[in-house]
Amino acid sequence: MTAIVEGIIKAFQLIFSIDPELYRITGLSLYVSGLAVVMASLWSIPMATVLGLKNFRGKRFIRGSFNAFIGFPTVVLGLVLYLLFSRSGPLGLFGLLYTPLLISIGQAILITPILVSFIISAIEAIDMDIRDLARTLGSTEIQASLSILREASGGVILAILAGFNRAFAELGVAMMVGGNIYNQTRMLTTTIALETSRGKIPLSIALGVILVSIVYILNISISYLRKR
Amino acid sequence: MAGLMELCNLWKSFGEVNALQNVNLTISHGKITTLLGPSGSGKTTILRIIAGLDTPTRGTLFYGNTQIAANDQITLREKATLVFQKSVFFDTTVYNNIAYGLKLNNELSKEEINNKVSESLTLVCLEGFEKRRAKKLSGGEQQRVSLARALALDRELLLLDEPTVNLDPKNVSIIEETIQRINREKKTTIVLATHNMFQAEAISEKIALLIDGTVKQVGTNQDIFGKSNKYLTSFARLENVFSGTAKNTKEGTSIIDVNQHLQIEASVSSPGKVTVHVRPEDILVSNNPLKSSARNVFKGTIVGIADLGSIAKLTVDAGKKFSVQITKKSLSEMKLNVGSEVYLTFKASAVQLI
Amino acid sequence: MRKYYGIILVAIVVFGVGLAAWTLNAPQEKVSLTVSTTTSLDETGLLDVIETEFEELYPNIDVAFISQGTGLAIQTAKDGNADMILVHDATREAAFLEEGYGVNRKILAYNFFVIVGPEDDPANIKGLSPTDALLTIKEAGETGNAIWVSRGDSSGTHAMEKRLWTAGGEDTTELRETDWYLERGSGMTATLAMANEKLAYTLCDMGSYLNNYVSGNIELLIMVEAGQETLNVYSAIACDPQNESLSHVHFDEAMKFIDFLVSDDVQNILADFGVDEFGQALFNPAVEVLAENTDPTIASWIKDAAFIDGTECPEDKRYEAGDLTFLTALSSLNAMIVQLLK
Repeated sequence: MTAIVEGIIKAFQLIFSIDPELYRITGLSLYVSGLAVVMASLWSIPMATVLGLKNFRGKRFIRGSFNAFIGFPTVVLGLVLYLLFSRSGPLGLFGLLYTPLLISIGQAILITPILVSFIISAIEAIDMDIRDLARTLGSTEIQASLSILREASGGVILAILAGFNRAFAELGVAMMVGGNIYNQTRMLTTTIALETSRGKIPLSIALGVILVSIVYILNISISYLRKR
Repeated sequence: MAGLMELCNLWKSFGEVNALQNVNLTISHGKITTLLGPSGSGKTTILRIIAGLDTPTRGTLFYGNTQIAANDQITLREKATLVFQKSVFFDTTVYNNIAYGLKLNNELSKEEINNKVSESLTLVCLEGFEKRRAKKLSGGEQQRVSLARALALDRELLLLDEPTVNLDPKNVSIIEETIQRINREKKTTIVLATHNMFQAEAISEKIALLIDGTVKQVGTNQDIFGKSNKYLTSFARLENVFSGTAKNTKEGTSIIDVNQHLQIEASVSSPGKVTVHVRPEDILVSNNPLKSSARNVFKGTIVGIADLGSIAKLTVDAGKKFSVQITKKSLSEMKLNVGSEVYLTFKASAVQLI
Repeated sequence: MRKYYGIILVAIVVFGVGLAAWTLNAPQEKVSLTVSTTTSLDETGLLDVIETEFEELYPNIDVAFISQGTGLAIQTAKDGNADMILVHDATREAAFLEEGYGVNRKILAYNFFVIVGPEDDPANIKGLSPTDALLTIKEAGETGNAIWVSRGDSSGTHAMEKRLWTAGGEDTTELRETDWYLERGSGMTATLAMANEKLAYTLCDMGSYLNNYVSGNIELLIMVEAGQETLNVYSAIACDPQNESLSHVHFDEAMKFIDFLVSDDVQNILADFGVDEFGQALFNPAVEVLAENTDPTIASWIKDAAFIDGTECPEDKRYEAGDLTFLTALSSLNAMIVQLLK
């Protein structure tokens, strides 16, 4: 019990003291997950738009697979990436193992099913007459698709946010392919795991409070901005 | 008379249903052409093909003297724009909705776009509505914004699908006046789809009578409406068309006296002489009277059975002759023959004014 | 409603199978003994062998190991989540006793830390003493020619590593800000894997090294061999039932396990463990070495490195120890004399 109280007190001391390490760790977490979201969006939004608007054989299967992979275990993904990118693995020559970039790539892959599934649902919720409207007002097919995407922007933002939450809070990929190197790949979640294994429970609680606060504040502010 | 557009031998099938059957039509330059027909007669399908939103199953389109290739919807979309029966909006301001098509044309400056938006809003009497949210407007205002959005594009061909259906008289007259005005002032060619023959008579110069996916008759206003017998024969081809005097009821519906044996209840209120239509597929056939919410139940005798493949068309005398459709399976299960007594049931809302 | 039946059915099946698997495999009516220990012991598989033997001898006791870095292993015991500890950091063990959490400390085994590195040895440390080797790696690292991977997880290995850097006059909190010193913050195998990937140097206990090298996880070679500076001593400590917050611990069972660990049986298992597989033992038994002074050099190194106030266990930290005897520097001196007289 005292450990929890101690941890919470320590959390606020840390947050209000200007501890460069804390800010660096938090910053890296935000950067890595932010980059993951940007990468995942680059391929997920076009993919989801095509899947949401086109009908073709096997579409149900692809959709179902994306839905099923929403809960893909992070450690399994971490393991696969580790094997691919280790020096003896097929992609070892890129030298990406234990770099923030590879964590971002891993998280981007991890959240792709979330983005694709959520964006498809958002697009399917849009009245498809919008597409004919755009066409009859002179849009090309691509412009019409973009218009539907813009109509679905609320859902797209939610999808991106959900993706960010998952990336930001995941541990498996960050630990396994990042290596938790101090000052290089040490992030909020890996630090919590490390400090717990070091027996520094109060610091872990403090970092946990920060992690949860960031997720909470971010989600609250975006839902507030969307309502306006 | 120069044809802006020619539709030659158009067929359109959705699965096994033929929505259009061998439609031939010339759309004359600078005129208002009306597609007149009951709902389900193929009006919307024709408009969507002209607008480049759908492709015909068979047939060719000519724009001027140029044949439009089967996969070339883009050319059509550059020439024509369609105002849908049900208003559709991007979830944003009126300004953004109207400016959408203008912004796609990169040659226009912001100022030109602003001017065009406000001009087109003025045309439909909605000055200053730019900043309003389109989806928050009333039904009539929405339809007028839809029209303004189409007008702002200055297309050669303006397509209107039932632009005044379900609107109150004030909005109807604004829209009708705007349509006539831009046809007169800008020489815009207009194709208007309507089921309302009074509207067709009032604003168009050329009418194509469309029934069950076929053009039954094409002519000028005078050709169609000038000689009453010809107009009546045209419409007699519509099944289940009844004329009578309508009286309003306390409940807001109206009772139409067709003859002393037949009173039809309709959910629209339009007192006086009316002509109404009930679609054959909206009528239920039963051996015994049905307990239901439907307001119209008539007893009749089968006087004719026609085989239409999987379905059969019955002619039932219930004071007036009704046409109804049932499946062949129902026909044999209900043991129906010529001379059988049946009950016909349909809702007041299935009765359409024409 | 019907479509939910399938979902409910699947949920019941998953839940039921899980519950069944758990209950069928759960120990029945046994006293469980929780041992908080370090990764370097657990990862070698030694503990599994000892557990099997012990449970054969005492069928009513079920041994469970929680393996963590020494830092957390000790914390776990302090929090009352273990009955005894099996660790390798004399300084923190002394603190654990001193703070009133443990009694009856017994030295069990030893081995050595080695510095391992890539085959081509870019920093050229082969054959140097541990401290010199580290300083040489630092020089090479600063010119971009070498990388050091640190455990960085407050484990016993990490503590040893810090002692060596400190002995060389370096401060690890400064070193970790550099590019060539990577603080891993993870277990031994993960740290070795990173050193292997990065072609870097790292400090490793002999047991973990051999275990990973022979199984093909790593290609790193030993650069700096065993020496007094890198002696690694493992001890067992029972949690103190006199401590109010630990009164619930299974002290009797813990003492049985410690008795068992120092018995000839287990000491012989230690001497043999890994010989077949690795060509040498991963751990060396320490009880006989200390009691009978069979190897005076090693015995004196152990005393220097791992005795607390000249003894295995301070007198005031002995409690209902039964037949267990604790060596002091003096008693082992006697043993030495006996040995000389023989």
